[in-house]
Amino acid sequence: MRRASGFALALALIACGCGRRAAFEAATADQVLAAVRAPGARAVLVNVWATWCAPCRAEFPDMVRLGRDLRAAGLRLVLVSADFDESLPQAHAFLADHGVDFPSYHKTGDDMRFINTLDSLWSGALPATFLYDGAGHRVRFWEGRQSYETLSRAVRDVLQKGRGTDSTEVKT
Amino acid sequence: MKTAKMKVLAATGALVATASIAALAASQSEPGEAPGALALGKTAPLAETKMKNVDGKEISITQAKGAKGTLIVFTCNHCPWAKAWHARIVSLGNKSVKRGIGVIAINSNDPAAYPEDDFATMQSNAKKSKMGFPYAVDGTSDVARAFGATRTPEAFLFDAKGLLVYHGAIDDNAHQPDQVKVHYLEEAVNALLDGKEITLAETKALGCGIKLRTSKT
Repeated sequence: MRRASGFALALALIACGCGRRAAFEAATADQVLAAVRAPGARAVLVNVWATWCAPCRAEFPDMVRLGRDLRAAGLRLVLVSADFDESLPQAHAFLADHGVDFPSYHKTGDDMRFINTLDSLWSGALPATFLYDGAGHRVRFWEGRQSYETLSRAVRDVLQKGRGTDSTEVKT
Repeated sequence: MKTAKMKVLAATGALVATASIAALAASQSEPGEAPGALALGKTAPLAETKMKNVDGKEISITQAKGAKGTLIVFTCNHCPWAKAWHARIVSLGNKSVKRGIGVIAINSNDPAAYPEDDFATMQSNAKKSKMGFPYAVDGTSDVARAFGATRTPEAFLFDAKGLLVYHGAIDDNAHQPDQVKVHYLEEAVNALLDGKEITLAETKALGCGIKLRTSKT
């Protein structure tokens, strides 16, 4: 009986991802950019999100799926939570629930510095997504929820050409 | 305009100090300003548009104007950042009204997306927090569109001539009021009333994206 209960618990943990939480560390924008420029990726997608942000939550499964689909092709997904400190346990659980099995970050430090370091055209609204090429140059920026197709097209473009067209898109 | 941008850049000068950031900046054309936001020196757009205030009466930005300036804050009820800053917005707004600044808070969010941003909650929020200025519904979200407002809270301060002199955040720490280092908006209001130059005229903070209603045009 006890063994059966333990197995059921293990299954539940695996199903919700609770048993394999990846690292979730505080990061400044400079540290996020260091993660972007770490060697080994041919394209890097940075997504700034928060658990309370409805469009972020809606976009999140596509973001994770895209990261998984194109990981072998050279895409690195860098997820940065903008949750307040008291919501970080929920954010960490949210990441596990969505099968995030790689290290991710939560924003720390001054907002304006964080925003302008990632992109001075970013107003600060969430979600925000930034695409970098393998050399760490930012080539695309989106404010607001984006579709899997939009992101996939842009990432594949960078993976194929090495660098995409620099542009900013705002969608609320 | 360019002077204001340079001041913002100077205030955040450490940002562009590293080679890595310089590489990023090289790909950007208009540093220091959110795309589409109303530019410093411009007048308030859609100033005659009537919006329903929490007292049930209609009000426009023109009607909310003060003799010494006008403060417009796009905010809402549901957003954690708007909630975190709400008491500070109300306190500064109430003080500013007494000092001759017209103040109006505007909710442009579609309550279909965020039920907490409905009119009834606005009314209870205004009453509970003792807002001494209008809190009005931008029923089409067109006012937010015209201002290029993208997040909550987002402040626009106009001088007595009706020209935009400050745009941006409330202060530099939403979550921890006791650890605020720079009270951006309050310092801008003080400078305006003292007839001094606003040294940090454009600022930013993270915030909830405004969920605009579907455009009818």
